[in-house]
Amino acid sequence: MSERYPNYDVLAKRWSPSWNEITRHVIERRLAVPREPVFFDKSEWETLCAVCDRIMPQPMDRPPVPLAAYVDQKITSRHLDGYRYAELPPQGEAWKRGLAALDAEAQDAHGGHFHTLDGAQQDALLHRMQQGELHGPAWGDMPCKPFFEHRVVADITHAYYGHPTAWNEIGFGGPASPRGYVRLKLDRRDPWEAVEDQPGNDAAEKNRHVV
Amino acid sequence: MRMGEKSVATGQSALAGFGLAAMAAARIACGLRGVARARRGALLVPDAKTTVLAAKRLNTAAGVLAASVLTDSAVEHYRGGFHNKAMITPLVTASLSLAVSIHGNADDEPVAHEVRDAVYFLSGLTGLIGTGFHIYNVGKRTGGFSWQNLFYAAPMGAPAALTLSGMTGFLAERVREARPGTAPTIAGLLAGRLVGLLTSLGLFGTVAEAGLLHFRGSFQHKAMYIPVTVPPVTAALLAAAAIGPRKRNLFWARTWLRLTAIIGVAGAGFHTRGVARQMGGWRNWTQNLLSGPPIPAPPSFTGLALAGLAALGLLEDLAE
Amino acid sequence: MLSDPFSAPRAKDGRAPDVFRVGGWVPMREFSDDDVVDFVIVGTGAGGGPLLAGLAESGFSVVGFDAGAYFRPLEDFASDELEQDKLYWTDERVIDGANPIVMGGKNSGKAVGGSTVHFAMVSLRFRPEWFKSRSQLGYGADWPLDWREMWGYYRQVEEALCISGPVSYPWGPKRPPYPYREHELNGAADILARGAEAMGYKWTPTPMATLSAPRGKAPPCVYRGFCRFGCSTNAKQSQLVTFIPRALKAGAEIRDLAMVGRVEVGRDGRATGVHYIREGKWRFQRARNVVVAGYAIETPRLLLASATDRFPDGLANSSGLLGKNLMTQSNQAVFGTMKEEVRWNKAPPSLTITEHWNYEDRKDFFGGYCWMAQGPLPIEWVTIQTTSRGLWGQQLRDEMEKYNHAVGLKMVGEMLPDERNRVTLADDLDENGLRVARVTYNWGDNDKALINHALDQMQTSLELTGAKDVFRQENDTNHLAGTARMGFDRETSVVNSDCRSWDVPNLWICDGSVFPTTGGVNPSLTISAIAMRTADRIKALARSGQL
Repeated sequence: MSERYPNYDVLAKRWSPSWNEITRHVIERRLAVPREPVFFDKSEWETLCAVCDRIMPQPMDRPPVPLAAYVDQKITSRHLDGYRYAELPPQGEAWKRGLAALDAEAQDAHGGHFHTLDGAQQDALLHRMQQGELHGPAWGDMPCKPFFEHRVVADITHAYYGHPTAWNEIGFGGPASPRGYVRLKLDRRDPWEAVEDQPGNDAAEKNRHVV
Repeated sequence: MRMGEKSVATGQSALAGFGLAAMAAARIACGLRGVARARRGALLVPDAKTTVLAAKRLNTAAGVLAASVLTDSAVEHYRGGFHNKAMITPLVTASLSLAVSIHGNADDEPVAHEVRDAVYFLSGLTGLIGTGFHIYNVGKRTGGFSWQNLFYAAPMGAPAALTLSGMTGFLAERVREARPGTAPTIAGLLAGRLVGLLTSLGLFGTVAEAGLLHFRGSFQHKAMYIPVTVPPVTAALLAAAAIGPRKRNLFWARTWLRLTAIIGVAGAGFHTRGVARQMGGWRNWTQNLLSGPPIPAPPSFTGLALAGLAALGLLEDLAE
Repeated sequence: MLSDPFSAPRAKDGRAPDVFRVGGWVPMREFSDDDVVDFVIVGTGAGGGPLLAGLAESGFSVVGFDAGAYFRPLEDFASDELEQDKLYWTDERVIDGANPIVMGGKNSGKAVGGSTVHFAMVSLRFRPEWFKSRSQLGYGADWPLDWREMWGYYRQVEEALCISGPVSYPWGPKRPPYPYREHELNGAADILARGAEAMGYKWTPTPMATLSAPRGKAPPCVYRGFCRFGCSTNAKQSQLVTFIPRALKAGAEIRDLAMVGRVEVGRDGRATGVHYIREGKWRFQRARNVVVAGYAIETPRLLLASATDRFPDGLANSSGLLGKNLMTQSNQAVFGTMKEEVRWNKAPPSLTITEHWNYEDRKDFFGGYCWMAQGPLPIEWVTIQTTSRGLWGQQLRDEMEKYNHAVGLKMVGEMLPDERNRVTLADDLDENGLRVARVTYNWGDNDKALINHALDQMQTSLELTGAKDVFRQENDTNHLAGTARMGFDRETSVVNSDCRSWDVPNLWICDGSVFPTTGGVNPSLTISAIAMRTADRIKALARSGQL
């Protein structure tokens, strides 16, 4: 549960004028993402899940957003970005190679698969990837730094912040059509927006009625 | 001294909240009958019944204005989130003003009522203070008195409608208590002239307010030109009637005032259609009632027109 | 009943979608491939749209092609960033150079209506001197257009798009009030204003191509904030709801989901028509004239790919400049956190703007820039956070939780033409077997000086408003231009002032590719003004038998 916007749920507005038919349809499909990989094999999947947990750690008190599943789906549905950095292969190939290379780095550094390492070790490897410091042969001609920024972080964080759970967490108003917003000024909110928890304002109760 | 026989107009309709249209129509009908009866001779000496009738017309006008302010300020201050606690005041005061106007409309006594007087005075004051608040609200925003803030900050002319309600009601009491055999005067001025002039100014002010907001709406519908073309003529004719010689023919002033009264009602109809035309229509009412054209605003023209018609009645019925 | 705009073309069988009515249709005149139509226009965006309407209204037979889908905004547009990717050109382009340009939603739309279906609606006029950048301001190249003539066309476009703007505009020669009034400013816009005033700079409500009052069947803006992901109310005055319906009414045909792969040129060196693929089949439309209006990547891509023995370097490329002088605009920003709740996603993102540094020449770099208010949605915001600050993990989540308090200022800055920056053909093939574009970009020294200046200015301005934890987004660009520049002679340009190519007399280019310089303002209004002028010029040329 979000601490800042307790009890706020974008999905509670599903049948309000803030959501239209196509939005309901789209979000329903999003929530129904297949949980099992189609593109990645077992070992790639294990690595990917572990990477997702570090890039976007999620609280235990609510169902996690299945980030790895969304990464898989982006590739299988051929949802492209509109550009490819010359130094990176197309997204599917980049992920496969990068995950394998990361796992190889883990073996090299700690003698075990990436997904078996503890959090600190995993973070350390990811930091090194971010700095461009991983050069194992498994990377081939793909530099690890742009892979980290343009694939790992981009795909995982986009999957997270494209999900209603994340919208609740940040108090985002969510879908808004046909109903948009009336009160546009600083420190003004419409009744269908999230209430931010402030001392004494009973946000948890108010958010139950935000619809 | 009671003079002559005057039947009180049949259109003593109850002022019930939003029965504005019925009220306006009924009052216009009353006015017609009252005038017809009054034209009996060159010199008329007022009797109590005549003054009370004139006062009741003014109570009605005050009530219509109060109802418009009540609904309009309720919606707009809700939109403003009542972020300043004082924003509840016009709702309270306008409610009281509406209530006493209904009361006054049913009151046959030729005496001013203390409570009505107090409420009307309070209304007038609240409107003035509200104007101050609104001017401050506009001025303190980034850009100060810019088009942006004139369009979207607190409307500076809106609280004046409450002052006009209070003033009209206050005048109603003064007319009511005028001694039979004399012409009602207020501060030495003939009541008819004073009411007429103030109403005329009120009309010009409302024209400016509607004009500003219709300008903001880019006059996207031809009908939006009506409140800036017809009421100014009305206001001018009313002012001329108020200032000019008593014996002048008031036909044109009366006609334009009736037209203006109807425009106020038609305006509410147009605004209702305007709300429906916004994205999501009535289904999206929680947004569109607030961001669409304000339905309770145009009837302030009706309220002012009624006050103007009452002024004409005073000018015709009551001799100098 | 939700229909899929991608499963099959919608504009066919004598009708096209009526974007103003759910499930509605308007009649559409149709031509056969064998009809020699007067004009084929490839691309239906800011350049193609006004030309389609203008030529059709002048009585020419016109077919507009678009690789994109024919959207019905009222039905097809979801309030969702990921879903609405469908408005962008998401097919692959290879990007390289020292400063690769990120494509997609930053600069490339794919839809009937082009990039205007997703643009931010900022509708600004060029500063007059920019049309003579070289002779009056000492950099770039001169345009073969007179600003006074352009002023008239700006007005026409503003009226056609019913721009909602301020009663008086603080910069440049006097202009009449915009057709509709300015929108209400949101909190984010107010903060820009405060910051500008604190610097002693003028600011203004931004002239926007979205309605502040009803217009015909379109309602005014509901301030939902998904502007760059498709306006589901039709308040946004994209080409799709303005010039395209006009074009249809005047007898033009639109072919959606129709990718043009090659412009055919005959033995006499004149264009004869276009090869296009629609519903899985390659076809050929004959035409007397071909206009390419695919914007600064697809236009050179198509013309390069249309090379023949006679034109081995691509069509209209005797100058060697086709694809070169690609320009984007710097789009760096500063962001911070306010004590107050800003909730910047309510309303269009850029409701206020300051063009101070477009009109102030006391600076030690060439070119100008403006900056405007911001309102990124969650995915865009996380992208900014991760790419600008390198955040991930719990730290990122903690920062993202402050979403409703975020505020920002973003620039649109002039970048100078440089022949190193270009569009060429890569070896990769797309799903139609066509070679994809390679987009190579490097910032020059002047570009960097301008960016640094702007970041300093914006940071100072934002800090003066009380924003805390201010950080910079140092790498971002938007918009495109330059790859088929307009000029005075065939050696130094690709098209003349009428957008007519020097080499192939019945081949025209009408989009942002023709800009010799890019200015410090968003380009859409200028593109459409050029298109309206081109329509007039073609009409005049036709009358005098010069077509």
